[in-house]
Amino acid sequence: MKILVPLKRVADPDNANKVKVNAGKLVTTGLEWKPNPFDEYAVETALRLTENGTATKTRQGEVVVVTFGPKDSETTLRAMLGTGADRAIRVDTGDDQIDGDVVARALKALVEKEKPDLVLCGKQAVDGDSGQVGQQLAEYLGWPQATFAGSIESEGDKALLVGREVDGGTIKLRVELPAVVSVDLRIVAPKSVKSVHTPATHAYPEGVRFAALMAIMAAKKKPLAEVKLADLTSDAAPKIQYLDYELPPARKAGVKVKDVTELVTRLKTEAKVV
Amino acid sequence: MSEAHASALPAPFLVALREAAPQMAISDDADDRATFGRDYTRVHEPNASLVVFPTTTTEVSHTLRLANEHGVAIVPSGGRTGLAGGALATNGEVVLSFDRMRRMDPVDVLGGTVRVQAGAVTQAVHEHCAHAGLTWPVDFASKGSSHVGGNIATNAGGVKVLRYGLTRQWVLGLEVVLASGEVLELNGALEKNNTGQDLRQLFIGSEGTLGVVTEATLKLAKLPGKLTVALFAVEDLAKVLDLFVKVKLGPFTLCAYEFFTAACLARLERHRKVRAPFAERHPYYVLVELEHADDAALETFVGETFEAGLAKDGVLAQHEGEARALWELREGISESLSATGLPHKNDIALPLAQLGSFCARFGEVFETRYPGWEICLFGHVGDGNLHVNVMKPDTMDKPTFLTKTKEADADMFALVKEHGGSVSAEHGIGLLKKHALAYTRTEAEISLMRATKRLLDPNGILNPGKIFDL
Repeated sequence: MKILVPLKRVADPDNANKVKVNAGKLVTTGLEWKPNPFDEYAVETALRLTENGTATKTRQGEVVVVTFGPKDSETTLRAMLGTGADRAIRVDTGDDQIDGDVVARALKALVEKEKPDLVLCGKQAVDGDSGQVGQQLAEYLGWPQATFAGSIESEGDKALLVGREVDGGTIKLRVELPAVVSVDLRIVAPKSVKSVHTPATHAYPEGVRFAALMAIMAAKKKPLAEVKLADLTSDAAPKIQYLDYELPPARKAGVKVKDVTELVTRLKTEAKVV
Repeated sequence: MSEAHASALPAPFLVALREAAPQMAISDDADDRATFGRDYTRVHEPNASLVVFPTTTTEVSHTLRLANEHGVAIVPSGGRTGLAGGALATNGEVVLSFDRMRRMDPVDVLGGTVRVQAGAVTQAVHEHCAHAGLTWPVDFASKGSSHVGGNIATNAGGVKVLRYGLTRQWVLGLEVVLASGEVLELNGALEKNNTGQDLRQLFIGSEGTLGVVTEATLKLAKLPGKLTVALFAVEDLAKVLDLFVKVKLGPFTLCAYEFFTAACLARLERHRKVRAPFAERHPYYVLVELEHADDAALETFVGETFEAGLAKDGVLAQHEGEARALWELREGISESLSATGLPHKNDIALPLAQLGSFCARFGEVFETRYPGWEICLFGHVGDGNLHVNVMKPDTMDKPTFLTKTKEADADMFALVKEHGGSVSAEHGIGLLKKHALAYTRTEAEISLMRATKRLLDPNGILNPGKIFDL
């Protein structure tokens, strides 16, 4: 099976440098980047679908990762090549000149060229929380889609039985390949993905795999192609216009109280919680 | 054991204390006495008579002076994260808690120092200094609770000793209150002060038996730059040591070289959800933290490491979240061992050159004399420090296990002695390792320590019964 995984980099929440807003524009200088967690889950899912879980060093199929961004976003792609993806494509854009629709239309062109059996993506990016690309891509391609996948079972790599996480339970549906599937958190639980190569009894370790040192070294030699956005879509103008950004209000400094009496008084009169 | 209580203390002591320090919080509440009367260990039950919470050095001084006059025993208490029973009050002592002495003065950027009270929490000091681009490089898993005063009194070690050394190296000045109540200011904020005996060092690591630390001027280091964290899978202990030599001489600064065994990881996985580092199982794991590791240098280094067969596999953290996840594999072990069974803990140090021979002999002794016991080994190989945790077999009852571990300890300590090691690398002696002191220190040394104790605390009121009996 050949799987295409689109992924996006987001600001690393663990880093002290946070995104800033200046005159209604996002300022991303000085940020450390990491892959959007849901996209990491999509890559992990793609790897699990194209390997025997008991011998993960051999790939039974192909996993191609693609991102939209400037040159330095290749770090994110290299990291994914380090965890096991075979090939990477960077569509050259800025971080903020595109919206979900442009990405979906460009991906459509890329899918027509690459002809994967499956597009796997994260259910949303944790920065913009838009959650549009997977659904729009399925529409543009006219492919079946399954969203919020918490489990995937391959039926001979011809169709997938997908467990969708919905409020209060799971909906199981079958999608014929090729298809677009977007994944949720639970897809990386030890037994969520059943491929045609892995014994049914196999349990994966919890979560996303780490990048092996040897694989990171080898990843430097794996192919990473650059594609111009204009070569994928003639209309690269975003439909969505972002009018303004606002950061949450800064936390006010606390006060020190002298004793319990003062605390209770202020809880009553100021905080009004007792 | 009869329960101690404030009423057992001399009444004139209590009256005088109230009068001398009217603002000081004093508690004879049973919960407070149970909480503040112990450290992290659970071998002995606490039995404190009273807990006092001074906020100033003067209050500490009054407390000690009066305790000394009335023959009342004092147990100084910090963050209560000790692992040797050094802060245990089992004998009706008054606990002197530093919980309310947390003041931190502004960072002196020029001098690279900060003055804090003994109750300042280690992590709070880190955060306080980070704004100035500085840090106090004393770092370990319990930094969220441990106090600066406790760290100094126990000369705490931790995960960065390899890079920065022990607490001892990061204390410039000390304010110490003697048993008499006299306050000493030792060394101020001087880096250089060659004027006779360095009394400050006498108190560092004395576990509160010679004097009580109330304030300290800490020496600060520059915050480290970008750190690289990797975990290696290694097939035997000899390779763990070979890899250490390789990493130590690598083209970067080595900050931490920590190891743990498959048994530790299995316990960790039983206790909580962790991201498994490798699909396969390996006998040994080594966590390496590097500073100033540039990509090209790292690549060459990793290539050579695998070529030389030093590691079977290895993973690299790609961002801070992953670095933390790898560190959690090492730092979570202690908690997971306690959560999934009853560990008998030992904390030993060996000259690195003796480590291989020691481990081989140690393995033999345990296999023949204690067959079937699960041994969880982890620690800071980089500085020769091993944490040896023997887990109680499920089929054995607790008293039998405790009796048998005493015999096992004797066997192990004899081996430690034979290999020129120490029976307590960084946890201290406290109450729990007293019986082992003579394996590492000679009779002559112990007599000198006793004489020092008698000189500074003639009435024996400061943390009596810790380290050695008089």
